[in-house]
Amino acid sequence: MQTLEEVLERYEAVIGLEVHTELTTLTTKMFCGCKLEFGAAPNTHTCPVCLGLPGALPVPNKAAIESIVLAGLATNCRIEKRSMFYRKNYMYPDMAKNFQTTQGPIAFCMGGHVDLEVDGPAAKERHGLAKAKAGEAFENVTVTEDGYRAHVGITRIHMEEDAGKMVHFGGEEGRIAGATHSLVDYNRAGTPLIELVTEPDLRTPEEARLFMQKLRQIYLTLGISDCSMEEGSLRCDGNVSLRRRGATELGTKTELKNINSFKSLHDGLLYEIRRQAQVLDEGGTIYQETRHWDPSAKRTIVMRVKETADDYRLFPEPDLAPYDLSDEFIERVRAKLPELPDAKARRFQEEFNLSAYDARHLVESTATAAFFEECMAQASSQKDGGKLAKPLANLIINDVTAWLNANPGQTLEGSPLTPGRAVELMGLVSAGTISSKQGKEVFAAVLEEDADPKAIVEARGMEQVSDTGAIEAVVDAVLAENPDKVEQYQGGKTGLIGFFVGQCMKQMQGKGNPQLINQLLEEKLS
Amino acid sequence: MTAAAPFGQMSIRQLQDGLQAKDFSCVEVASSVLDAIEAKDEELHAFLEVTADQAREAARALDARIAEGAFAEAGPLAGIPVAYKDNMNLLGTHTTCSSAMLENYVAPYTATCVQRTLDAGAIPIGKLNMDEFAFGSSTETSSFGPTLNPWDEERVPGGSSGGSAASVAAGLVPVTLGSDTGGSIRQPASFCGVVGVKPTYGAVSRYGVVAFGSSLDQVGPFARSVEDAALAMNALCGHDPLDCTSQPITTDFTANLDDGVKGMRVGTVPAFMEAQGLAAEVKARVEEAASKLEAAGAELVEVELPHAKAAISAYYVLGPCEAFSNLARFDSVRYGYCDPGHKDLGSQYEASRAKGFGPEARRRIMLGSYLLSAGVYEQYYYPAQQVRTLITEDYTRAFEKVDCLILPTAPRTAFKFGEIADPTEMYLSDMFTISINIAGNGGMNMPVGTGVDSGLPVGAQIVSPAFKDENMLRVAAELERIYGQAPVAPAFRAGE
Repeated sequence: MQTLEEVLERYEAVIGLEVHTELTTLTTKMFCGCKLEFGAAPNTHTCPVCLGLPGALPVPNKAAIESIVLAGLATNCRIEKRSMFYRKNYMYPDMAKNFQTTQGPIAFCMGGHVDLEVDGPAAKERHGLAKAKAGEAFENVTVTEDGYRAHVGITRIHMEEDAGKMVHFGGEEGRIAGATHSLVDYNRAGTPLIELVTEPDLRTPEEARLFMQKLRQIYLTLGISDCSMEEGSLRCDGNVSLRRRGATELGTKTELKNINSFKSLHDGLLYEIRRQAQVLDEGGTIYQETRHWDPSAKRTIVMRVKETADDYRLFPEPDLAPYDLSDEFIERVRAKLPELPDAKARRFQEEFNLSAYDARHLVESTATAAFFEECMAQASSQKDGGKLAKPLANLIINDVTAWLNANPGQTLEGSPLTPGRAVELMGLVSAGTISSKQGKEVFAAVLEEDADPKAIVEARGMEQVSDTGAIEAVVDAVLAENPDKVEQYQGGKTGLIGFFVGQCMKQMQGKGNPQLINQLLEEKLS
Repeated sequence: MTAAAPFGQMSIRQLQDGLQAKDFSCVEVASSVLDAIEAKDEELHAFLEVTADQAREAARALDARIAEGAFAEAGPLAGIPVAYKDNMNLLGTHTTCSSAMLENYVAPYTATCVQRTLDAGAIPIGKLNMDEFAFGSSTETSSFGPTLNPWDEERVPGGSSGGSAASVAAGLVPVTLGSDTGGSIRQPASFCGVVGVKPTYGAVSRYGVVAFGSSLDQVGPFARSVEDAALAMNALCGHDPLDCTSQPITTDFTANLDDGVKGMRVGTVPAFMEAQGLAAEVKARVEEAASKLEAAGAELVEVELPHAKAAISAYYVLGPCEAFSNLARFDSVRYGYCDPGHKDLGSQYEASRAKGFGPEARRRIMLGSYLLSAGVYEQYYYPAQQVRTLITEDYTRAFEKVDCLILPTAPRTAFKFGEIADPTEMYLSDMFTISINIAGNGGMNMPVGTGVDSGLPVGAQIVSPAFKDENMLRVAAELERIYGQAPVAPAFRAGE
């Protein structure tokens, strides 16, 4: 198979996502009063309604409607004042009524968008970017200094209920094929679920991944879901098709399911794009089918071929009247909107004089954004505390994020690195008390020993010597010890400066201020 | 009060006066009613299950309250034996919907309408026969055999709430509950000569009543007097947090029963009276009833319902669509009939549903499944909804001119078993009742004597604007003063 770059030279990949999110922060189910709880003993949170018993009727959960309106407002959707629930009819034991209550042509939220900032090496995957200059716009893209901004349309966000969970026994890998029996747990049945459908506006696996990350960040900020891909409260299906560059008609798409991480989404789409290109290049046909991403085998496999479109016999749910949202309700929900990641990034840029890049990456997680803000609150009481913004942003974006990635399960809140310690650490570095290299050592030690940076620096005797007199004495001694090297340096071999610095540092057991040493050496050698 | 009258033939007031005066106890009432059912229902077959234990337990609890002098607080139905159509859940008893599919299904919870009667002090006597899943107008589609009409055992009691109508007409119980999707309370009430009320859609909670057509179904009472029906309405109506289509109602439906009809505007619909298929004896009785109301001081006003003729067509689109979806849950997996020995889910579904459902249920499921399918939906469901809007507007316009309407309930008196074999001909039984379900307003049957040809009960249908059910009860009370209280069917009268 060809690389992504090779494929995207000739083909345009058209990607759309369907994102299901369980509203896990609610206390009760969508249409009954049963408790929402992940991991409870099977079928302990059930009642006649979510078990679909004869005679049971649904009553909509108003808090869930508020959550979906929040999601719609946060993604620039139009909130429909009148929408309806529909019944989607299909027979399967995970849905006890044998129909799922969902929405029809008009959902609570219609026609929104999210802007993605793509930077780094992945930005180059976007076809046509190389030739464009910053500020230029093409397709749904605006070129920026360090990459591009992509405008991704959101078709709709609708409200529905989740199905129960089925476990199959006796078949291969818990699949239904070949299973001898299956068990159903209806605890999840009726969990409020919002489904967001994007326009087919995504063009690279990285855009898809970034979209999901950003959406997750928005939902987490809204507090409407815990958005756990592992526990299935955030689920995503990717639709992808290829078409020749310049073609306007869409190719046949495949649907990628069973995606339980951002990496799986990226890798699954990447594989699928390359696979489809190979099939097309060989003169083959893409079949409309559902494929399953197998992360261990690193390939997609066919789950189900869709020969005909499913007929779900959708019709208006007669047990639920059309839902009318008043302007007052919508405004009340709007007033509850927290500061969203984009707005927060803009504020960080202005308030702390950060680059767009730094601000954007700081708000990628609620925890890092909050940590940074707390750091700046503490730093502001210090003289020149504002100058710590950039070093603190670097610490968080690089060191802290790397540490969190390397330690799955660790949280920033639960770590020994408090905002106070971070400010203290970066204060020591910027005051020149320790070098930035030593800063990294102290950072590791803070996390390891759960101690304050100052105490670590003292205990390890790391304070830099910035006393000019003391440094000058060492510099003089080193120069006196190496007359031949001095001669060579003065003869043009200026690279020897590193040797002299090293010698000075060695004599000072690494505590000398490297800038001062450099400065003095240059003065004396010139 | 006739001391000799069986308790099941007494009115609510007679029973409560006797209980209050300690002439008899609730336990005596319950036992006597249970005995009468045992003696007379084997042939009639109105009951599918007699809830003797629950009845005796409720009666003992009520007697204890009476002994404490707390009878007044026991509720408007205190001490009244009540029986329920078998599509209503009563915890611990069977809810079969007269279907082999649910033959062994035991309700794990109680329907709100049933609970409201229990909260009002009713003694639960049992569960009543019906057409399978309420699909029918004769109880002939019941998987457990039909109910007989107490007036003529060769004839059907009407349906689908045939057991509810027949048990009241036979004087076995004073009050029963039925449900009405297209006429299933009013038509059997007409065939059995009793009062049957289909309240406005949303007046009574549907929670716990096995759904047929969710946008059409409504629960209501059967009784032999308007006052008994009104007292039952008082217990039944009102908002239920478990049914979001139910509405808050605080009306006392007994309040204006004695007001008479002087000054009321009663509408007649000439096109209905000229409808093909309306029997002359029914037409004559209904016209007579209208003129008697006029004589009693009502103003008769002719109104038109130009789209009502499309009601049956719209109903046989909307009803089956909703029924198809509502009955999808009967899939043999968690409860209900399960055909044994299948190795895959699809064939288990197919065989269980093919054998568990009777022909009429299968017919409606197939019809609904077809009508909702891609490409067909647009041709039928949409137009049917549009017709629904037009019919609703017809009624709204009519009720700008009148306080209620008087119409025939059914086109004819009770027919014989097997007499109507063509299902589409059977569907015409509801030709005068269906448009009221489509529009959602209230309608009730009031007995207005017997037909000159058949000698069987004839019913007039009184129709109210939405949430003005007190209007039709007021007119019905006037008719009751004119025609007398609905009699127990001759063969079941005490001392005859």
